[in-house]
Amino acid sequence: MLLIRAIVRPEKKDEVLAELSSAGFNAATMVDVVGRGKQKGIKIGGMVYDEIPKTLIMMVIPEEAREKVVRMILSVAKTGTDGTFGDGKIFVSPVEEVYTISKGTRGL
Amino acid sequence: MKEIMAVVRMKKTGATKKALVAAGVAGFTAVKVMGRGRLVTDPQELEKCRQKLLAMGMDEFSDAGETEKLVTGFLDGSRFFPRRLFMILAHDDDVPRIVEAIAGANRTEYGIGDGTIFIMAVQDAVRVRTGEAGEAAIW
Repeated sequence: MLLIRAIVRPEKKDEVLAELSSAGFNAATMVDVVGRGKQKGIKIGGMVYDEIPKTLIMMVIPEEAREKVVRMILSVAKTGTDGTFGDGKIFVSPVEEVYTISKGTRGL
Repeated sequence: MKEIMAVVRMKKTGATKKALVAAGVAGFTAVKVMGRGRLVTDPQELEKCRQKLLAMGMDEFSDAGETEKLVTGFLDGSRFFPRRLFMILAHDDDVPRIVEAIAGANRTEYGIGDGTIFIMAVQDAVRVRTGEAGEAAIW
């Protein structure tokens, strides 16, 4: 299983989550976060904003769904045709075990 | 070294903290998050939830149609609910005990929405105060 951590624009989160849900990946956790990227924030006039609000979406998926989910987030979270600075990032890391508390079962 | 991520009900934060301390956890980080789980399609489970929610919502001030609409929206699976995310760093052999403690504290009679526990491998940890690295940084 894999943990997908996607940092996306807050205005894009509903679109991303709706798309994932319609493809059968309903389970997700999200947090509002602030951060900056490679561009060191945004510079407007003399003011540098390096705490830009984003939404962090976390979801655990089976390994074989990796390509599908990543491609889906990439295509939906992008702004414009070529993408823009600040569209976000996706991190993928392995998860060893998953337990569902209500059923007490192991696995997704 | 493992990281345990547990998403639990907001109301169970206190119980989970107590259970963790009892299980002997070095420390943990908790964040308020919004979450939703796997889509529940079993009509029997859904009907049970629906009845329970309808019974909770009805009093002399509420409008039956409104309550019905609210409950339907609640159960369609696309809504996010407030949850608490616990992040715990643990030694490998402590993991089953901690998972058991979290599951025990959070299991309810509702059947849906008690949360999920994820376990991941951690490469390294460093305690800032002493500079200790690896397993020594946890306890």
